Amino acid sequence: MVERLSFYLERSSPLHRLNPTTKLVVAFTLILVAFLGPGLLLPSLIFLLILTPLSFVGQVGREFLRTTVRLLLPLFAFLFVMQSLFYPGGKTVLFGFWIFSVKLEGVRFAFLTATRVLVMVSSFLLLLFTTHPGVLLLDLTQRGLPASVAYILASTLQIIPQMQAKAATILDAQRSRGLDTSGSLGRRIRALLPLVGPLVFGSLVDVEERAIAIEARGFRSSRPKTSLVEIEDRPLERALRWLCLLAIILALGSRLWP
Amino acid sequence: MAVIEIQNLTYTYPATSHPALREVSLTVEAGEFVAIIGPNGAGKSTLCYTLAGFIPHFFKGELQGEVRVAGQDIRRVRLEDWVLKVGLVFQNPFNQISGAKFTVYEEIAFGLENIGVPREEMKRRVEEVMALTGIEDLADRSPYALSGGQQQRVALASILVMQPEVLVLDEPTSQLDPIGTREVFQVIRRLAHQGVTIIMAEHKVEWIAEYADRVIALAEGRVIGTGTPADVLTDPRLPDYGIGISRYTAVARRAAGEGLWPAERRLPVTLDEAEAGFRAVEEAHAHLH
Amino acid sequence: MRISIEDVHFVYPGGVEALRGVSLSIEPGERVAIVGQNGAGKTTLVKHLNGLLRPTRGRVRIGDWDTAQVEVHRLAQRVGYVFQNPDGQLFCRTVAEEVAFGPRNLGYTPEEISQRVAEALALAELEDKAEANPYDLSPSWRKMVALASVIAMDTPIVIFDEPTTGQDVRTIRRIERMIEMLSQRGKTILTITHDIDFCAENFERVVVMGQGRVLLDGPKEMVLGMEAILAQTYVEPPQLTRLGMRLGFEKTVCTSEQFLETLRRRLDHPQSDPRAEG
Ligand SMILES: Nc1ncnc2c1ncn2[C@@H]1O[C@H](COP(=O)(O)OP(=O)(O)OP(=O)(O)O)[C@@H](O)[C@H]1O
Ligand SMILES: Nc1ncnc2c1ncn2[C@@H]1O[C@H](COP(=O)(O)OP(=O)(O)OP(=O)(O)O)[C@@H](O)[C@H]1O
Ligand SMILES: [Mg+2]
Ligand SMILES: [Mg+2]
Repeated sequence: MVERLSFYLERSSPLHRLNPTTKLVVAFTLILVAFLGPGLLLPSLIFLLILTPLSFVGQVGREFLRTTVRLLLPLFAFLFVMQSLFYPGGKTVLFGFWIFSVKLEGVRFAFLTATRVLVMVSSFLLLLFTTHPGVLLLDLTQRGLPASVAYILASTLQIIPQMQAKAATILDAQRSRGLDTSGSLGRRIRALLPLVGPLVFGSLVDVEERAIAIEARGFRSSRPKTSLVEIEDRPLERALRWLCLLAIILALGSRLWP
Repeated sequence: MAVIEIQNLTYTYPATSHPALREVSLTVEAGEFVAIIGPNGAGKSTLCYTLAGFIPHFFKGELQGEVRVAGQDIRRVRLEDWVLKVGLVFQNPFNQISGAKFTVYEEIAFGLENIGVPREEMKRRVEEVMALTGIEDLADRSPYALSGGQQQRVALASILVMQPEVLVLDEPTSQLDPIGTREVFQVIRRLAHQGVTIIMAEHKVEWIAEYADRVIALAEGRVIGTGTPADVLTDPRLPDYGIGISRYTAVARRAAGEGLWPAERRLPVTLDEAEAGFRAVEEAHAHLH
Repeated sequence: MRISIEDVHFVYPGGVEALRGVSLSIEPGERVAIVGQNGAGKTTLVKHLNGLLRPTRGRVRIGDWDTAQVEVHRLAQRVGYVFQNPDGQLFCRTVAEEVAFGPRNLGYTPEEISQRVAEALALAELEDKAEANPYDLSPSWRKMVALASVIAMDTPIVIFDEPTTGQDVRTIRRIERMIEMLSQRGKTILTITHDIDFCAENFERVVVMGQGRVLLDGPKEMVLGMEAILAQTYVEPPQLTRLGMRLGFEKTVCTSEQFLETLRRRLDHPQSDPRAEG
């Protein structure tokens, strides 16, 4: 069974109260600036001076740091090893051992790439941690996203946990009837095989039942829709969004006219 | 005024050879609470689907005869708006969530958002219906991590909140605890008194006896009996059709076989009737001695 | 095989405290019904018996095994469990395969397997549906397939979670016959049910749960008469028990036999005015 369907963490922070679109725009801006902007240190500064403090303002600092590290550490390790050793055209050898030599250009490139990815992933995490997915979609709907697209997005957000839950149920049923799902890899794969059919088939049945269920709740009703939650949008936030646009243009400019 | 009029309805699901409903005719008045009983496979759910328009608009198949609900031919209605007039609570309580909402509260509000109910009214109605179905405590819980009975309550609440004119309930209490079942029957009867027309498929005859205005018995797709609960539920043919009877009726029938039930009395269907009958027997015996 | 549950607490990962100190012990061959309000923790409790859930605190023992130490697939040798929700519980292409799935995993010989499958199919009256796909059957037949596939495992302990919901009388009779047969073979049977009349007619011992605790536990004649405590957890006494109470019967009656017997006795000895009693 699923306990949590999203990354969202309920808190009452200023960040939570921001309009979801503002947060989405800020996230995109930070990512674009990190990728387009000048300087080796820019992305890491964005992470350290903007994203991390913001996560504490949003009262999700610990979860934010923990999840970021957990998601990215393996990737970073891989990136550094590969790039610092095999970066093409590296000249400045920092140190060498056996047949390998670690080159400065490689380390620089790895660092830049890694910190850019860091900004990309962590901005989205922060957005997801502090924004109720339903509210985000609702806001987008009110800004013109079609309701059916919003529904598809909302239900896809839930498909993974639902599939997981379904797989867990089938697995529970199989274990309860004596199927050994632990042990060697071969055994585990063999244990997984009987799961695929019912999972796919069961999900198809689900899709049909779900379609009937939402129909019965007036989903395709021709009346104009309303929403349970009200989304604030203050003038200050609108100004902030314009500022973001400006930042993106500046970053783009720095790239075009260095 | 008849809200539901069905004449000679015969319906066959696609790719099946035998009709699930055969020559069904019935009428239901506005504000009536009608229970549908019958063994597994009798066609109760099929009838529910038809009234709610899912047959023939979702399940295709072959529909013969006349089905008119609120004066409209069921074949002509547009399903997407019809659901506002006729609400259907499905039999399977485990698969009725929208899949797009993250808390029980939002889940119940989903239908109201779809039909454009203003926010303040929406909140009032959601909270009211949560109290009615005993799930206030679950408001912030995920709709997925609930016990069987809690899921069924959420499913029921999600349709009740839409306040349809006709409410079709397919075994809405199958997972509920006994007092929860009683409460649902009370809520439903209150709605009927307010003018909502109720059709409920149900196996629990002792509750039907107490709360329903009328009972329709189905077997193998045919109507085999219709009338007041007292008449239908004491019909001696029910067991032959595989339809259950209440313990009160059953025990009184056995007692009657031994001369322990007043000869002039009809067999009981409710606790009160059973009590009165057996008291009469005891008093008669006391006189004899 | 003895079941012993010692002060079990369980908290779901989301923080819901579903069990708050449950202790029970069930002897081999007992027939026990568990009743109680929605959300009382009944399903959570029985999932501890076959290891699907492990206590947050406390201990569950099946014979000499501590469920926290034994994997679920091994516990399946001792405990068979039919889920409350029939969806997702069946996963084979045909009913016959489904019923054979458990016995095969438990390592019975091919002859034993086919014999157990045949027997379970017969008990559930599924012989003519052996080659059908479980998903093509109606929900009530699917539940029978689930019952058959657990019975075929021939475990000393069998647990049913709401076996009678949505079933007509004939199917309920069939389930009662299954329970009777299992009981004659000395199996321990635990059934969760909201059908209190079914409970009164088929079980000896009744456990009443409410809010994650055991509120009452004892012979049905004792437990089912305690209207006030039952009401705390949204349970009402069985129909005939209530009728007996209304008529002033001294003893709690659960079945029609008991009811008629008491009635006859009272009619033979009418010295006591029914309304003056209890
Ligand atoms: N989607 C379907 N496709 C084909 N046949 C169906 C379908 N649904 C039901 N049937 C068949 O129609 C008949 C009536 O089924 P229905 O589900 O209406 O019975 P019911 O009285 O609701 O039974 P239960 O008490 O088990 O819910 C049965 O023979 C059933 O097998
Ligand atoms: N997967 C889950 N995650 C979180 N909480 C859960 C989960 N499953 C059940 N619960 C909660 O645990 C409590 C006990 O649930 P359980 O399913 O054991 O109740 P039950 O007695 O079987 O009820 P019912 O009669 O409705 O089936 C309930 O409050 C329920 O909401
Ligand atoms: Mg049905
Ligand atoms: Mg349960």
